[in-house]
Amino acid sequence: MAISLTESVYIGFQDFWTRKLRSLVTIIGIILGTMSIIVILSLVNGMNQETMKWMTERGGLAKITISRNWESKNPLKLPDYFSLKEVLLIKSLVPEVEAFNATIYLRSIFKYGANTTFSRTVGTFSDFEIIEEWSADRGRFIRNFDVTENNNVIVLGNTIKNELFGSKNPIGQTVTVRGQQFTVIGIMKYRFMESNNNLFSDNPFEYMNRTSVIPISTMINKFGQKDAIDEITIRAKSADEAIALKNKLEDIVLNLRRGQDIFNVVSAQEEAKKMQESALMFKIIFFFISSISLIVGGIVIMNIMLASVQERTREIGVRLAIGARRFDIFLQFLIQSVLITFTGGLVGVLLGVSIVKHVGDFLKTSTLVDINMIYIALAVSVGIGLIFGIFPSVKASNLDPVEALRYE
Amino acid sequence: MDYVIKTDGIQKVYNMGAVDVHALRSASITIKPGEFVSIMGPSGSGKSTLMHILGCLDSPTDGRYFLDGEEVSKLSKSKLAWIRNIKIGFVFQTFNLLPHLNVLKNVELPLMYAGKKASKRNEEATKILERLGLGDRLHHKPSELSGGQRQRVAIARAVVNQPAIILADEPTGNLDSQSGGDILSIFKELHEENNTIIMVTHDRNIAKIADRIITIKDGEVFDGDITN
Repeated sequence: MAISLTESVYIGFQDFWTRKLRSLVTIIGIILGTMSIIVILSLVNGMNQETMKWMTERGGLAKITISRNWESKNPLKLPDYFSLKEVLLIKSLVPEVEAFNATIYLRSIFKYGANTTFSRTVGTFSDFEIIEEWSADRGRFIRNFDVTENNNVIVLGNTIKNELFGSKNPIGQTVTVRGQQFTVIGIMKYRFMESNNNLFSDNPFEYMNRTSVIPISTMINKFGQKDAIDEITIRAKSADEAIALKNKLEDIVLNLRRGQDIFNVVSAQEEAKKMQESALMFKIIFFFISSISLIVGGIVIMNIMLASVQERTREIGVRLAIGARRFDIFLQFLIQSVLITFTGGLVGVLLGVSIVKHVGDFLKTSTLVDINMIYIALAVSVGIGLIFGIFPSVKASNLDPVEALRYE
Repeated sequence: MDYVIKTDGIQKVYNMGAVDVHALRSASITIKPGEFVSIMGPSGSGKSTLMHILGCLDSPTDGRYFLDGEEVSKLSKSKLAWIRNIKIGFVFQTFNLLPHLNVLKNVELPLMYAGKKASKRNEEATKILERLGLGDRLHHKPSELSGGQRQRVAIARAVVNQPAIILADEPTGNLDSQSGGDILSIFKELHEENNTIIMVTHDRNIAKIADRIITIKDGEVFDGDITN
């Protein structure tokens, strides 16, 4: 007749409580270990979340971008930009997309009266606003007829508008860009992403507020940017379709350049997956690093448990004499060891969760606690108790009752 | 059944490297239910070994041992634990109470290992402690009690499962003569209630209170007091 698990837990608690100070000192390693697991996993989680937010804000996961592959040596000296003709050919080959856009970037000086500023000027099609999920919030954006008619119209970024016009109404005014007169038809919506991640500046989207948009045809024909299309951006109907579409686009682009990898085709969905994978790697690596202190804690516990078995040899003898089975003794010590590590884990989780916010603030980075990491930390602390408790427990249960009773 | 203990030529040989030490040579003992038997012998005579075997803490090298109608010399270790729990009550010279448990919890231990419910344990342990005059000491730690009181707790622990035999190893060895006398009168009372008691002692005066004396000398067992 074995004693029940509840009895064993009760005995374990009694032992734990009888030796309060020793138990407390013993669990410090486990507390620190679980605490660091919680803090580190929250930091990695926070970084991950920040990155995902950034990607979603920049056009979502259905977005595909074709741009120059800077790693390609281009030995055949093939054109490393697209011509408008090629862009239209590509567009005709992927009718299944939701939106299709091509862009030329050009840094230009903007003038209005006495005011001058620099702006990143983008020549695009009207689908820009669909793909980038970004449009004018005053006036209007570029329309198809602006592109077909090579109109000298411009939509200003919010910061550019402030620098040129201040509080004055800019709509209908004329700005000078590269010697051409442009009519301001709209102002792009102000972009801002809250970030307490110091990897980025205060507003990681400020570069967008310094961007102004004109029709791509105007860029090509009036700024002499023929065959100079930097980037093609496409939105698939869904994030899942984006991966198949990405493969198709890769083939098309390779065919256009005799199989040379002059361009990169990148799907946001795929990038997000890659990022999540590397975040997972991060998590696993950091998890193992913080596990080292748990292992050290486990060794300390094993040591203390061995000392405890030695010290309580006579008690074990008495228990065996009055009817405890070996398994009862084994369970008594194993449960005691697990109770110690579980308590340590619990305290570690509580401390970890309560300091994680402060650590995040201190490092100026965001953190995210999720329930799974709490389970992981608790499971690991119980595991440490089991692993490092087995040897002392086996030793205790293998004592010979006669020898144990004689022990002084 | 005319006996509670019957051993048939039990031997215990310790292998000490090159030499075999015969702690017990062909010991045959029969003890009837309700008997009070003293086992006497000088130290090193093998009486501890005999007691350990009778108490199922150790197994004989050879021979057969029947306890309460069951042959225990061939039982597994976990079965022996059960036998010790149910059929044997130990009283030690050094009391062997668990220091961090109070009196009540100490007496409850055998009941716990017997798988009894907490409420039942409390009830039975309290009853026996009250009978032994320790009703007002239930929640004291052993260190707060006198030697005589500690031994009474130990007796309560030994009898709480109503064992077939009570095995007492020098139960008065650590007590003054006053408390020792008290303990012996408790054994007499238990004997009058038909408990089987086996008491190991080296003191002839103490051994005399039993119905019968068995002497052990150089690993051999004799009936009666043959020490002189």
